[in-house]
Amino acid sequence: MMANVRPMLRPPRFEAGVLGWAHANLFNSWHNSVLSVVVGAVLLLALWFGLRWAILTADWSVIATVGGRFVIGSYNSDQACAGNNCFWRPQVSLLMVTMLLGMGWGMAGGGVTKRIAIIVGVVIALFAFLPYSFERMGMDVRLLLLANVPAIGAGWALARYTRFGTVKWIVIFSVAAFLLTIILLRGIAGIPGLQPVAVQHWGGLTLNLILAVAGITLSLPIGIALALGRRSHLPVVKTLCVVFIEVFRGVPLITLLFMSQHLVPLALPQTFPRDSLLSAAVVITMFSAAYMAENIRGGLQALHPGQEEAARALGLSGWQTTLRISLPQVIRSVIPAIVGQFIGLFKDTSLVYIIGMVDITEIGRTFILGNPEFRISTKEVFIFIALAFWVFTYGMSYVSRKIEGHLGVGQR
Amino acid sequence: MSEIPRFLTYKGIPVWRHAQIIQWAAQIISAFLVVFLVAWFFINIGNAIADRNIPFGFSFLDREYQTPIGEHFIPYESSDSFRYALVVAASNTLLVAIIGVVLATILGIFMGVARLSGNWLVSKLALIYVEFFRNVPLLVQLLFWFFIILVLPPVREGYVFGGQLYINNAGISAPGPIPGSLGAVLTWVVLVAAAAAVGVMAHRKLTRRETETGKPSYPLLTGIAIVFVVGVLSWIVVSVISEAPFTISSPEPQGRFGRIHGGITVRAGLLVLLVGLVIYTSAFIAEIVRAGIQSVRRGQIEAARALGLSGTDTLRHVTFPQALRLIIPPLISQCLNLTKNSSLGGAVGYTDMTNVAITMTQTAPAVSIFILIMLVYLAMSLTWSLIGNLYNRYVGFTGV
Repeated sequence: MMANVRPMLRPPRFEAGVLGWAHANLFNSWHNSVLSVVVGAVLLLALWFGLRWAILTADWSVIATVGGRFVIGSYNSDQACAGNNCFWRPQVSLLMVTMLLGMGWGMAGGGVTKRIAIIVGVVIALFAFLPYSFERMGMDVRLLLLANVPAIGAGWALARYTRFGTVKWIVIFSVAAFLLTIILLRGIAGIPGLQPVAVQHWGGLTLNLILAVAGITLSLPIGIALALGRRSHLPVVKTLCVVFIEVFRGVPLITLLFMSQHLVPLALPQTFPRDSLLSAAVVITMFSAAYMAENIRGGLQALHPGQEEAARALGLSGWQTTLRISLPQVIRSVIPAIVGQFIGLFKDTSLVYIIGMVDITEIGRTFILGNPEFRISTKEVFIFIALAFWVFTYGMSYVSRKIEGHLGVGQR
Repeated sequence: MSEIPRFLTYKGIPVWRHAQIIQWAAQIISAFLVVFLVAWFFINIGNAIADRNIPFGFSFLDREYQTPIGEHFIPYESSDSFRYALVVAASNTLLVAIIGVVLATILGIFMGVARLSGNWLVSKLALIYVEFFRNVPLLVQLLFWFFIILVLPPVREGYVFGGQLYINNAGISAPGPIPGSLGAVLTWVVLVAAAAAVGVMAHRKLTRRETETGKPSYPLLTGIAIVFVVGVLSWIVVSVISEAPFTISSPEPQGRFGRIHGGITVRAGLLVLLVGLVIYTSAFIAEIVRAGIQSVRRGQIEAARALGLSGTDTLRHVTFPQALRLIIPPLISQCLNLTKNSSLGGAVGYTDMTNVAITMTQTAPAVSIFILIMLVYLAMSLTWSLIGNLYNRYVGFTGV
């Protein structure tokens, strides 16, 4: 009997393993083979020259020279903060953020939140070991950076072992943390150690992040309201929403920012406090809300009318139908567009240079223009800034894909 | 027995829960709020103008601008009026928008198709391209290209390729057509346009014949041949009668500083703005094209292949026409974004509309200028929307 069993044949050489993969993906027809060889050759050449430039030619010391200014701008400079002892305020804000991340991890109990919290914690802690001299980067700065690791742990424990580990409390804490950050960065006159720092000295990545967080939180609800208003059958409300959306979508953001600087001071009484940070935040939020409204409207139009009819037939009121039936489905279906808009908003924060605010991009530009000896290393500066933006924007789109997968978009 | 007024015995829905009344109240209140706010703004603006002697109004439009505009493609002198300077600036923005949209669409379609390529290397490269350029602010990219151009050698020491192509920190110069006399150009262009019309008609007719009878009729070849033959013949005739419609001029360095004359020069500012805008927008368009093509059901492609259509024919006659309905609306909104993003030209030394407007604010009321240019941008945006709506109506595609 056994003699009839044939010896098991090895798979064909070109169908399995590395060769099989290459055959299926790179050399499955003659024109694909040619394409692979040509593209591969170009890629190797580009990698060779690119890496040679990045490792041998490029002078990355310019990044170290600018250093902390990329993160907080001139916040801790002599003009902004006499005594140069304001560095701890942005750092304490960072501690609050990492603590919230820890709470997110504690609540979710693992998955993406855990991964993000650990990565953020480790990266920030690593910054504490930058090989600067102690005059340039003091022990206090390093310790406050290291404190982010216990902060994540504290947040995790808080969410895990107390009753604060719910979405409601995390939202409340987030809002509180944001307001506290603003108060902390602004400072309070009369309290030692908290001397006021004018907003024009805020800068760097911190400024981009503050504007982005404010814009993201507010543009979604405003956008939803505008989208509902545009779909409303009340002529006055509808007209107002349409005009708002089309005007804000129809003009470039920098002209709006410019107008906010010139027209708004005229339109408000002179006694009104001027605040370039506030007006930038308002304009960016409005601009983004107009786009958000169109995204949401797309989702509303795609929603099957039967959903609303069924809800009304069950006796739900108009508001209940909108809030409990339509919007949850709509928002789930347009998550990619919403996150795309958030990413757009974050990128748009680089435009505040037009009203004289110094975000991370502007810091790079002014540094190069002000220090001609570094003119040769501009590529390095802008590659660094591009990567700094990219880490955040790519992170957002990564989280968006995870949320989509979690909510099962396109699967039910 | 006295009659009780009807509204006192009213037993229906209470007023505060009556849908119609609530809706009307909401409308009146919101209208009132908006009118109140706008009125308050205008009163404040009026007070500010009166108190602080702030210039306002549009009388400056007739004044001489007296400032050079770095780059312009229609004739402009410093003695021209503000009004005309704004037109020149708008034409600069329009030029960038049109060239940028064409190039970004071509590159975007290319990258979108590359993303779907069966070749692993090509599709992964396209993925990296899209994910990087889409996620980095346009301003950062523009400044990156700008400083790269700045570190190129100056005009006199610039790179020269074959004595024809000049690359230096002032821009790129290459040979280009220079129009002859207006009559010659017009005659030739009209003749070629007429030939193109005939060619299109022939193409249609032959295509119909081919599909109806199955006889090979070479519609595309015939169409191109008609245009080509008429073009060459009329060129010879026009050249013999008066002069050649276009002559090729080569760039040549002249004078002490070696400034380049002749040929076509794309100056650094325009070049950087175009490169930045095209790369940035094409990354978005690539994603739109990819999503559009992927949305065509597999059954459609399988059916086409089962009917005996080749891979190219399937793409051309089955996949692409269906994908196009989903691609065009977001593509148009990307064109709109590109037009608006060209307002960053000032950051890289190109005199687009916003940049000129910002310069103008030094000698004219800022608010008035910005109201004007915002209206122009709005008009451009609404034109794009109109094109989109017309397309939607044309393909009969309503919905999302």
